[in-house]
Amino acid sequence: MFGKKVSESDVLRALRQVVDPDLHRDIVSLGFIKNLKIEDSVVSFDINLTTPACPVKERMREEARRAVAQLEGVREVRVNMTAEVRPHLGLDRSALAGVRNLVAVGSGKGGVGKSTVAVNLAAAWRASGARVGLLDADIYGPAVPIMLGHGQQAEVRDNRILPAEHHGLRFISMGLFVPGDKPLIWRGPMAHKALQQCLFDVEWGELDYLLVDLPPGTGDVHLTLAQSVPVTGAVIVSTPQDVGLVISMKTLRMFQQTNIPILGIVENMSYYVCSHCGAREEIFGHGGARRASEELGVPFLGEIPIDVRIRQQADTGTPIVLADPESPAAQAYRAIAERLAAQISIVNYQMTPLRIEEVST
Amino acid sequence: MSAHASVRPTAIKKIGASEIHILWSDGHASTYRASYLRRHCRCALCVEELTGRPLLAPEMIPDDLTIVSVELVGQYALHFQWSDGHSTGIYPFAELRALCPCPHCASASS
Repeated sequence: MFGKKVSESDVLRALRQVVDPDLHRDIVSLGFIKNLKIEDSVVSFDINLTTPACPVKERMREEARRAVAQLEGVREVRVNMTAEVRPHLGLDRSALAGVRNLVAVGSGKGGVGKSTVAVNLAAAWRASGARVGLLDADIYGPAVPIMLGHGQQAEVRDNRILPAEHHGLRFISMGLFVPGDKPLIWRGPMAHKALQQCLFDVEWGELDYLLVDLPPGTGDVHLTLAQSVPVTGAVIVSTPQDVGLVISMKTLRMFQQTNIPILGIVENMSYYVCSHCGAREEIFGHGGARRASEELGVPFLGEIPIDVRIRQQADTGTPIVLADPESPAAQAYRAIAERLAAQISIVNYQMTPLRIEEVST
Repeated sequence: MSAHASVRPTAIKKIGASEIHILWSDGHASTYRASYLRRHCRCALCVEELTGRPLLAPEMIPDDLTIVSVELVGQYALHFQWSDGHSTGIYPFAELRALCPCPHCASASS
């Protein structure tokens, strides 16, 4: 029993074999290993990931456990998975100081289910333990408050806006600035002002992800967002139909022109599974978004089936990800949320912060 | 301009009151004088939007124009407040790269 005693450096050397598949570096040099303790040949440590919604969490835990268990003098390995979403460098406008990542959700045209996707992605992240906010910037058809139902209402206190909160999600809608059933008739500058208020006058608090549900297409709101804050990246929601895709490309180009990284494309309404016979119908065709993303070299995040329950749950104010977590639709959303979180971690890892240095002569 | 679409600044310096220095991700370095950038302003007050006709005569801009302030626009452009009071121009990085006045770039674009 007086065998070799294992040292910290032995453990770290073993853990260097475990590589994060997204960041392509080992988990030791990425600084993921925390609280390493060795007591009586029991090795325990935390792996602090870049997102709680990590798609390969269990695989990394197992690889790390196995790498350390092989060492001589190790009787037991205890791996604790933690996560800390890293902030997007450059997000330091004081009001948004607690917001680590701002993610835009766009589409080429209306009616592709952008808001439904945004709400369910937010809910999936929340369910994985992340702190999530949602800014409904679709001034033409604000839908988020309906889809998230009535929890705590937004209110104004001391000239600051406190966001609404339900299902653990903080949200605000630009529809808030329009009373009741009045139609929205806004000039560009008014939309600009309303979005800036939603960004800077709202007490967002500490958030890992703030999703911004944009109006369809390209326009004032998009430019205001691109010009006002460093956006971590954008997700494009599209239907499989070509016409939807061609238009989505314009939105994609606009993000590229304003240097906003494209985090990926989601194909919504990808196919329909008959609730009676189980046959799969590809109503709008299928796979168009995947092909487009391959051509453009943009990550394809996944496809979401047409499922009447997605719509029903959205209408009742509880996103399907929360209402029926085991349904195929909820599983599809969760997988997409995980891939998206991984893309965000990649962008933040690769990004060099840009700032202007003043040099006197 | 599209040739420079993927090139990003890695460092931006304001040198004194009238010079901007940008180091690019491909290793190139550009130095711009304030008056040069001001004369190339593409804003709607300086260039007619529909026809592209210039509304600003270069000689209207003094050579000793200075930068009152410069800030980042999101992550894609610079915005200047010039000493002549003008401040409506936005300079996307791709456009700034295309405007690089160094002898190499100037001869390539002409």
